[in-house]
Amino acid sequence: MSTLLSAMNASASALDVQRARMEVAVSNMANADSTRGADGQPYRRREVVLESVPGEPSAQFRGLVASGVRVAAVVEDQADFRRRFEPSHPDADAEGFVAVPNVDVPEEMVDMLGAARAYQANLTAITLIRDTIQRALELAR
Amino acid sequence: MGEIVTDAAIMAALGRQMTKAVQKQAVAAGNLANLDTPGYRAQEVSFADALEGQLATPALVATDSNHFGVAAGVPERGQTGDAPGLAARRDGNNVQLDKELLSLGRAGGEFSAAQAVLSAKFRLVRYAINEGR
Repeated sequence: MSTLLSAMNASASALDVQRARMEVAVSNMANADSTRGADGQPYRRREVVLESVPGEPSAQFRGLVASGVRVAAVVEDQADFRRRFEPSHPDADAEGFVAVPNVDVPEEMVDMLGAARAYQANLTAITLIRDTIQRALELAR
Repeated sequence: MGEIVTDAAIMAALGRQMTKAVQKQAVAAGNLANLDTPGYRAQEVSFADALEGQLATPALVATDSNHFGVAAGVPERGQTGDAPGLAARRDGNNVQLDKELLSLGRAGGEFSAAQAVLSAKFRLVRYAINEGR
């Protein structure tokens, strides 16, 4: 039983992580044109770094653990800002170029789709595990 | 000597089947959770290790003909290892969504099957306890 619960925890951790990925992708897209951030610099694209978390080894199932996942870090993409020619823009440099965030909207869309798919898959996993627990409880009827 | 299949042996076998199904589900869930973790290798319950675990277990021996049937191979042990033969993506991750979902569903089916038989067994026992009422 506890194995099932640990499996469910692993899936739940994945839901958390995928939601975080989605949030970051949304934030990137929202700021695709933000030329001024808190530090006066254009917005830098953020990226989520995922990390696998080994589960608690159970005594009954030697070596068998469902490993969860967590967000190890949210890092800023250090790629160069893109430059757009827009002389009338208040943030334009002497040559008339504006530094715009290094966000690629299609890339974010793809990332978001991936996160949504993974979220769905893990939700399905939770449903299936819940069914198994339900079946196990039916034994006691 | 003819092999007598006892209720206890059947129930133990069903229990093992359920445990195996749960192990498979846990491993598949872990793999699914790490669908996007770079460098993660898909795990699976390795059959060879599981078999070895079963065989290595000293089975109880019935030393007297009046002993009840002894369930063979008691503790279930599953070991996981890297699943072989999967194509890795560029980030080194080789979890395959469809394979894991299939494995989850199939394990659920196996569990259900064993559970159905086991609850039928329990019903019989209850029937006997209640003296057929």
